[in-house]
Parts: sequence; structure tokens; C-alpha cells
Amino acid sequence: MNIVLSHFGDLLGGFWVTIELTLLGFAGSVVLGTILAVCRVVPITPLRVIGASYVEFFRNIPLLTLMFLFIFGLPDIGITYSLFASAAICLALSGAAFTCEAIRSGINTVPVGQAEAARAIGLTFTQSLRCVILPQAFRSMVQPLVNVFIGVALSSSLAAAVAVNDLTNRTQQLNLEYAEAVAAFLVAGALYLVLSLGGAGAGAWFERRLAIQR
Amino acid sequence: MSVNRVLFDPPGPRGRRRIRIIATIVVVMAMGLVALALQRFAASGQLAPGRWQPFTHWPYLRFLWEGLRGTLGATAVAALFSFPLGAGVAVLRLSRNPTLRRLAAGYVELFRSLPLLLLIFAFLLALPPLGLNLPIFWKLVVPIVMVNVAVLAEVFRAGIRALDRGQFEAAAAIGLTHWQSMRIVVLPQAIRMMAPALVAQLVSLLKDSTLGYVVSYPELMKQANSLTVYTHLLVQTFLIVACIYVAINLLLSQLAHWLERRSQRRPRAARPVPARADVQVDAQAPTPQLVH
Amino acid sequence: MSQHIARYGLLRRTSILAVASAVSVALVGCGSSSAAVAPAATAPTVSSSEYNAIIAAAPVADTSAITRGSWMESVKTRGHLQVGGSDAAQLFSLKDLETGELKGFDAGLSQMLARYITGKTDVLSLTKLTTVTVDTRETLLQNGTVDAVFATYTITPARAKKVAFAGAYYESGDAILVKKNNTSIKEVADLKGKNVATESNSTAALSLKKYAPQARLQLFQTDAECVAAVQQGRADAYVLDQGILISDASNNPAVKVVGQPFTKEPYGIGLPLNKPEAKAFVNTWLKKIYADGSWNKLWKATIGTVVSGDAPAPPTIGSADGS
Repeated sequence: MNIVLSHFGDLLGGFWVTIELTLLGFAGSVVLGTILAVCRVVPITPLRVIGASYVEFFRNIPLLTLMFLFIFGLPDIGITYSLFASAAICLALSGAAFTCEAIRSGINTVPVGQAEAARAIGLTFTQSLRCVILPQAFRSMVQPLVNVFIGVALSSSLAAAVAVNDLTNRTQQLNLEYAEAVAAFLVAGALYLVLSLGGAGAGAWFERRLAIQR
Repeated sequence: MSVNRVLFDPPGPRGRRRIRIIATIVVVMAMGLVALALQRFAASGQLAPGRWQPFTHWPYLRFLWEGLRGTLGATAVAALFSFPLGAGVAVLRLSRNPTLRRLAAGYVELFRSLPLLLLIFAFLLALPPLGLNLPIFWKLVVPIVMVNVAVLAEVFRAGIRALDRGQFEAAAAIGLTHWQSMRIVVLPQAIRMMAPALVAQLVSLLKDSTLGYVVSYPELMKQANSLTVYTHLLVQTFLIVACIYVAINLLLSQLAHWLERRSQRRPRAARPVPARADVQVDAQAPTPQLVH
Repeated sequence: MSQHIARYGLLRRTSILAVASAVSVALVGCGSSSAAVAPAATAPTVSSSEYNAIIAAAPVADTSAITRGSWMESVKTRGHLQVGGSDAAQLFSLKDLETGELKGFDAGLSQMLARYITGKTDVLSLTKLTTVTVDTRETLLQNGTVDAVFATYTITPARAKKVAFAGAYYESGDAILVKKNNTSIKEVADLKGKNVATESNSTAALSLKKYAPQARLQLFQTDAECVAAVQQGRADAYVLDQGILISDASNNPAVKVVGQPFTKEPYGIGLPLNKPEAKAFVNTWLKKIYADGSWNKLWKATIGTVVSGDAPAPPTIGSADGS
């Protein structure tokens, strides 16, 4: 246990990398997911097809395989990103598929009457989405989006398999050097718990803020 | 998507022309990107037939097939344990005994917050010195089961909560105990309702099995890694393995979609009973839906 | 509504078809060759028949050496040696996908030992492999799942407390692999501040911490990933056992091995600690194959295919600390 405590700074450094990966991955997936959700809604068929195939593909490919392809396959096309950037981008690409579905299901919970009313007062497609539908959809999107956040946070541990220096990787290195496995893993587990419960807590706070006061 | 149908009027001639122009631009751009990527890929020599030829030899394919068998085996066993245990934990979470409730809730919250890779490393590195050294297969399957039981418990709980209260009340009215009503009335209906979500979780289980190479369990990713030692063809091996995974998971997802469509055509337990008792409700007709 | 669903189903189906066809276009590549072309880059090894001949020519023990109730007798009665090792380690133990036979330096030694005990000549039936990892080696020896471990197993005093080591049977060392045009890294001191890739469970990771503590470590899971990392510039150097690095460099013209090995890694055969007769028996066998040239011939047929020059002198038995 002493070894773990003396290397706690190392573990915290890894935790910080994990947080960075999570935040970047989640932010990227929200942005990309929104674009995809819009793609799936507009009346332009090719965009719908692209959106649908993107979601089907990235929901079904294991994240590890995606990371391998991204890190070892893409340089052959000429695109080389650093390991950290590659991991973050893969997390964003993968999370975007789930975010898109979360947004779509959120939009579906908005009663049709809202959309009809928006059209009735003359709002265009973009205006009705932006001013009427999406704000109401956010309320039901919070829980699925929190799930995506936790999913991204936990999947970021896979970056350890491709040599990114995150919390899981540092735990592995500590174990390699000192064989002090149990304490190290307990501490790492506790840190991940903090991250996930923090995300869930933030989500609950959001939900309370957005709840309709009846 | 109902909202979708309402958000814009059917486009007039100018709208249709605009849509067609944008559609053509999008298609051209997409094909251009794909062509560019393929061309760059070919330029780096990765499309050379010599690099893809090995995968037409049966020994290599058999090597990968053994990996696929390992993947499917681990997934099947993990599913076999996770689904019943997940249902059990969900029922425990809704039990009337507060201790059981809290235990179940604690388990779910804990294992939904831990990464699977960390758990697998714990089983691989931390537990053997303490004396618990499982065979390689179980070092992979037990962590997967632990995590997925927590997730499935939430899915089942959502299904049970979505069930009409009338079902619980009716079960109590005919004299079933809490556990009996869960077992005979509630769970079967909840499972039917959550079937698509459960199949989606099966897809997630299969994706989790890709961590088998960490414990050297011979599933598809591990076999792909070993194959690259032999052939030094990283990109090709992983592209093929990615396609295999996507194909299998697509099949499972299609199964989920099919189940979802089927459940929307069958009469559902949550449908309100008509007020007039002499109205014969045709059980086979699809529910008239106000909104979809 | 059903029309809506059918259209959606069509969209899904076409999207799947689109993805599948794009992928198959990439797969089919350009043109097809009619002749059976050998895989683009495989490690050069001798043919199966030559390899099998070397194993079959190895010595066999006298029946008097196999005492009753000993470790050796249980192997002889069973008819094959249960080996803990790998099937994906270049040069040392690689499974030939066509024949299913294990070939390599470690594999050959295990097959020779099995022949020494059982007297058989059919290479495929001499040993049965259980894959081991760095974490499971000792446990599998202790609980009897494997009779011996041949897995580039470095002898250390710490490990000698849990298992018995026969040998050393080979002395290796960690070397450095860099990109072909890299002139700044020549030896381990040059690794200071650089990105160095290595395999996550190897002793190289530990030796790097000792010899180049300022290097930035990148742990990958397999050898091919580390080489790709160097080739793509993600890592400046790759450190691992010299033999494996030389094999990588011989397959890949874009990288090269520099400098001399900067560590001394004596490889030993892992044996159960509670069977002292096993260690004495295997050491006797090792002396025999050093003397009659089988060790040399095996070296030439495996590691010698990538490392130029004659076989080195086999290490003195018992010289490594812990053996």
C-alpha cells in the first residue's frame, strides 16, 4: 500500500489523462452526434443513408478494433495522429453513434402537437428544431446522454491497450514494477468510481434544473 | 419519426430541385472521399494482392475461425450467466426487504462505474497472488458477467417499471405472493418488452469479448494478433477482423430491430382495457395507434 | 406506418449493402494473381523436413537415467511433454499454420527434451503446448498443468524462489530497433527523453526503467504493433530481445537494429521446484546437446536464419544467478 501511496501522484496524473480523454471524447461525440441526428432527420436521402450507415457501423464495431485500425491502419492513408489524439477521436467517433440515437429518441419524446404548433405559427424547419423541439427534447435526453458519458469514461480505459498513459496504463506499469497489484487496482477502481458517479451526479443535477415545475 | 413528418411541408417544385441538387453534391463528395482514401491506401501498397492473398489460404482462415469460435463461445457463456443473474438482481432491487434492496442497488452502482479492462487486469494480475487463479476462460468471462449483470439489471428494472401497475394489482388480487407474481406475471412480460434492448446488450457483450487477448484467451482479436506475428500484415488482418465483427453484430442488431417491430404489431399488456365489457376486442388486430 | 417502416428497412438494407460493397472493393484489391504467391512477409525459417531432421537426430536418454517415481518417468509414461510456452513468438516458438507444428529455438529445445525422455521421432506428437503469459507461468508449473516452461524465460533470483531453472540455455540481451534513416540513436544512453516502445509484459520494460529511466515508455501488446509504431514515427525506438528485433528488421526494410545488447538475459527452462530430480536431469541433457552439436544445429536453423555468423558458445550451466 505504501508503494501505491508514494506513487499516488503518478496515478493522479493518469487520472487526469483519463479525464481529458473522457471530456474530449464526450464533447466530440455530442457535436458529431448532433450533426448525425440532423442528417438522419433532413429530407435529403443520401444524408439519411450516410447517417444511418454511420450509426450502424460504429455501434457494431468493437472500440478496440476501431482503435487498432485508426492507429495502425490510417497512417497508410497518410493520416497520423498522436496516440492520445487517436484514442480521443475513436472515443468521439464511437460515442457519436450512441449520442445520435440518444438525441433521436429524445426528439421522439416531444409530443407531435409541439411540432404542429411550430409549423402553424410559421417557423421553418431549422427554426422549429432550434426554438421548439430541441429545448424540450433536452429534458428527456439527459439520462441517455449521461449513460453515453459514463460509457465514454469507462471505454477510455481501452486506450491503455494502445499505450496511452491513462489511469489503467499507469496501474499496469505500477504492477509491472512493484507487483503491488491489489492496492493499485483498488485505488484505480476508486478513481474511476469517482469519475462515473460524478458524471451521474452532474446528470441528475441537470435533470433537476430542466425539470418542469408542476 | 412522427415529429419528422410534421416538421416540414412536402417540398414544392423549387424545394424538390434544391433537395436534388444537395443530394447530388453530397453523393459526389462522399464518393470522392472514398475514392481518395482508396487511392491513398493503394499508393502505400496496402492493396497489393500479395498482401491479401494469405487470407484466401485455408490455414489462415481456420486460424481466424478458431478465434471466432472462441469469441462466440465466451459471448454465449457470458450471456448464459448474465441474463438470469441480471434479472435476479433487478428483482432484488425491487424487493420489499430494504437490506436486499440496498445490496442490489450498491452492486449495480458499483459495477456500472468500473471499466471492464480494469476488472480483467485485476483478475489477471491482482487476484492470483491472493490465491484466486481462475482458468483463462473464466478470467475473461467472470469480469464480463459481473459488469453486464449490473447493466442488465437496469434494463430489466426499466422493463418492470414500464409495465402497467394493473398487472401487479391483478396478480396480488388473485393471491400470488410478491415473488410468485414477479416470476409468473411480471418478468415474462418485462422480458418480452425489453427484448430489443436485451439483444442490443448481447451486441455489447460480444464487443466486450474483444478484451480476451489481454488474458491470452484465443478469441478473434487474440488470433488476429498472433496472425500478425506470423504474417506481419497488421492492416489487412485488422480490416478483415473488423468486418467480421461488424457483420455479426449487424445480424444481432437486425434481430433486435425485428423483435422491436414484432412487438409493436402484437397486442401489448399495457393497453388499456375498453370500458364497455360487451365489446369484443380482437386480440390479433394491431392496436390503433394515435401517434407514431 | 407500415410503409414508413418498410422504407426505413430499405434504407437500412441499402446502407448495409453500401458498407459491405465498399469493404469488398477494398478487399478484392486490384487484380488477382493466379500463381500461389507466398505471403508477403513471413519470417524466414528452414523447411519443415530439415527442422524435423534436426529434432529426430537429437540424443535419447538411457532407460537407467529415468528413475522410478520421478518427474521424467511421468513424462515418459504419458508419452509427451506438457510444455508451457507460446505459439506466436517469432524465432522461438511459432506455430506453422499449414502443418500445425511448433517451430523455433524454444520449441525445438522442448521437442528435443521430449525426445530425450520418450525416444519418439514424430515431432508433432512430442509436445503439447499450453499458452502461458508472464503472469501465469509460475502457477501453471506449480499446479502441474505443465511439466516445463520454455518461454524466453529470464532467470532471476526472485523467480528462482518459485520455480527451479535448468540452464541457462541461451544468453540474450535487449537491443534497440529504430527507423532506417535514424542516426541519432546508437545506444541505450541516446534513449534519454525519447519515445520508446516495448511490449507490455516483457522484461525489456523493466530494464528500460533501469538503464534509461528518462525515456518515455509506450507499452504495446504485441511485437507487430511496436514495429508499426516505430515505422509510423509514433515511437523513436523499440526495445526488446535482440533476436526478435533482428527478425523484425530482416522482414522490414524500413527499420534497423543498432548497437549491441545492453542487458544480459539468460534464458532458463522453468521446472517445478518440488521435483529436484527434474533440474539435475535437464541440466545433464543440456550438457549432452551442447557437446554433440544439436544445440548448434538448432540455433542455426532458427535464430541463425536472421543473425549472421556462427552459433555463439552455449552459456555455462548454472552460471546465471538463480539457476
